[in-house]
Amino acid sequence: MYQYDAVDKTIVNERVAQFRDQVERHLRGELSAADLQHLRLRNGLYMQIHAHMLRVSIPYGMINSDQMRTLAHIARKYDKGYGHFTTRQNIQYNWPNLKDVPDILHDLAEVEMHAMQTSGNCIRNISSDQYAGVAPDEIIDPRPYCEIIRQWSTLHPEFYWLPRKFKIAVTGATNDRAAVQFHDIGLEVVRKDGDQNAEVGFRVYVGGGMGRTPVIGKVIKEFLARDDILSYCEAILRVYNLHGRRDNKYKARIKILVNAFGIDKFRDEVEAEWAHIKDSQLKLHEVDFDAMAKFFPLPSYEDLAQGDERVEKWRQLDSRFKAWVDNNTVAHKQSGYRIVNISLKEHSVAPGDITDTQMEAVADIAEQYSFAEIRSTHEQNLVLADVREQDLLEVWKALDAVNLATANIGSVNDMICCPGLDFCSLANASSISVAKQINERFDNDDELYDIGEVKLKMSGCMNACGHHHVGHIGILGVDKKGEEWYQLTVGGDATNSAELGTRLGPAIAKDNVSDAIGDILDVYRDQRSDDERLLDTFRRIGIEPFKERVYAEQA
Amino acid sequence: MSTATANRAIKARAKASPDRIQTDVVNAQAIVDQQLVDNALHHVAEHDELTLETLPDGDISVPLTFYLEHKAALHERESQVAVQVAADEDVADIADHLNDIQMIVLPFVAQIDGRSYSLAYLLRTRYGFKGQLRAIGYVRLDQLGFLSRVGFDAFELHEGDDYQAALKAFLEFSEVYQPSADEGRLIFARRRVTH
Ligand code: SF4
Repeated sequence: MYQYDAVDKTIVNERVAQFRDQVERHLRGELSAADLQHLRLRNGLYMQIHAHMLRVSIPYGMINSDQMRTLAHIARKYDKGYGHFTTRQNIQYNWPNLKDVPDILHDLAEVEMHAMQTSGNCIRNISSDQYAGVAPDEIIDPRPYCEIIRQWSTLHPEFYWLPRKFKIAVTGATNDRAAVQFHDIGLEVVRKDGDQNAEVGFRVYVGGGMGRTPVIGKVIKEFLARDDILSYCEAILRVYNLHGRRDNKYKARIKILVNAFGIDKFRDEVEAEWAHIKDSQLKLHEVDFDAMAKFFPLPSYEDLAQGDERVEKWRQLDSRFKAWVDNNTVAHKQSGYRIVNISLKEHSVAPGDITDTQMEAVADIAEQYSFAEIRSTHEQNLVLADVREQDLLEVWKALDAVNLATANIGSVNDMICCPGLDFCSLANASSISVAKQINERFDNDDELYDIGEVKLKMSGCMNACGHHHVGHIGILGVDKKGEEWYQLTVGGDATNSAELGTRLGPAIAKDNVSDAIGDILDVYRDQRSDDERLLDTFRRIGIEPFKERVYAEQA
Repeated sequence: MSTATANRAIKARAKASPDRIQTDVVNAQAIVDQQLVDNALHHVAEHDELTLETLPDGDISVPLTFYLEHKAALHERESQVAVQVAADEDVADIADHLNDIQMIVLPFVAQIDGRSYSLAYLLRTRYGFKGQLRAIGYVRLDQLGFLSRVGFDAFELHEGDDYQAALKAFLEFSEVYQPSADEGRLIFARRRVTH
């Protein structure tokens, strides 16, 4: 994992001091709430319905056990004993006091963490594949590139007041788990012409995004040599900063500019700008990548055979353990190891929420069984990336003891869900209570497993923080004369075969949402062939059969 | 001019681009090269009746279009003439005149506008402008650090802001990660030496 050097430490500490000064000036009445707003946003501090919300950055989802313990400490000392993992791999606290925030940032800095640029119209946390470095389908580990981009983009003086927020994601695997085509800049680490021994670079997508106007990113450069990654990003950002719309915040994202120019003209603008800076000091050298890669070494794996007899025996004996192994663990590139997913979608808990004691338990388990590292995922779960197969039973027991062994990863209950009306001032409708309703409807595990992989994603309004456009089933909260209604979509996909969901029909009343989901899944179960997932069946049969069933029932 | 005229709005102007200053601006103080100085520069707003004859005496800054139209006559004035470049203007339009200009003024109208950060960067690095780059309008203590990194070296603060307090903004950060129009170097280049 990346470790701060003296420069990183200085910047983070000076940032804390700067914010402490800003908050003190505000509390003394020297800085108005309106003037503080931009400053606090760029330190991750929002104003929500009931209180402030602090969003702490977890760069590309990597944290270690000590950092997790600090997150637990913050939840306990400054908040109500829990935190909430977000779809950008960050963690949010819903109840901090403004006057405590400088102290919280100080505590974070002690363990090399910060909240810089987790909100505001600037370059946000770089997100990536939660299985980076361990996935069997990985071609190149994206994390060194993420960290290089993170440093370059942190407190970049020119791109701190963009027309709108700006999100960058990086993947290095065949199966894109970072949704790069739905980012302002999406980077796919590739080898030139797909040749195993060729030069490393990036396929660059631009102008993707969710929000009110969901757009799939377009390829702006088929192959960009890795030396040029910073100058190319800078060229894109400069064109956007100068030409992006600032008169209407709903038209201010780069996707609108790319569409207005057309990708070809936009590319010409970027290339013209890039020609000026390509060979500037932004050019990276071989040694820069080597130095960064050293922070992400292969853990000291043991030489182990695939499979473990004792674990296999228990898997046959204990159906709960079996369900957990089957659903929550996935193949590792190293023989004798598994990737363990920790579901934060326990029934009756808001998706992504985790208590202080659970965080500490995860920190301990990671320390004992997974090289003291944890990842957060954009699906609002956690990952222990390097668990020996022979330890799976112990890990499961330890997680189960703190209610973190819910075996529902990838299922309809493993939904992504934004905070909605319970916390967010922009919301049209609540999402957490609907998540609960769905959890209750699908409380039969056999049914859940029979249904298999369903990516259910829910947002409380058009801003789409819950990524509903790309859910296999998407749910969008809408306001109908002051009542909460829900618009359903089917067939969205955030992976390589990116697709926006198709609208099912008129919005559905709150009480009927889980029944409508039940209907959709019934159609799927009636019509699926072989081992088709819901998404595959939908692609084959289209929206009509789903529509008929849902609205026949609702009528 | 008395020091009591800080941010005095001198005359109303005709409706134009919202990115241009709407009324004339005069501030009694400025920060130049991180020093507090007395100031008498009069920033003239663009409006339909603006002519050479109606210009105030003394040091002035004028809108870019007006400057381009009246360049020769303006340079005959005894006092200083600076040029305003608004956020929606293109720095390329001023490129051929940079040798004749000692100061460019970039107004932040009503709020922070990221475009002027890129304009300043381009003026310094792409066009090699060596004169003064001055920020006026919505210019706050908390922006000074970043503004100076992209090439600004002079500031007239937002109405009512404390100049003395603002001076310490330049000391907030002693390290940076990336190059801009200042001396800042790419962090990876710096680490190359130590590795
Ligand atoms: S999608 Fe809407 S309701 Fe949900 S968090 Fe985002 S802004 Fe708030």
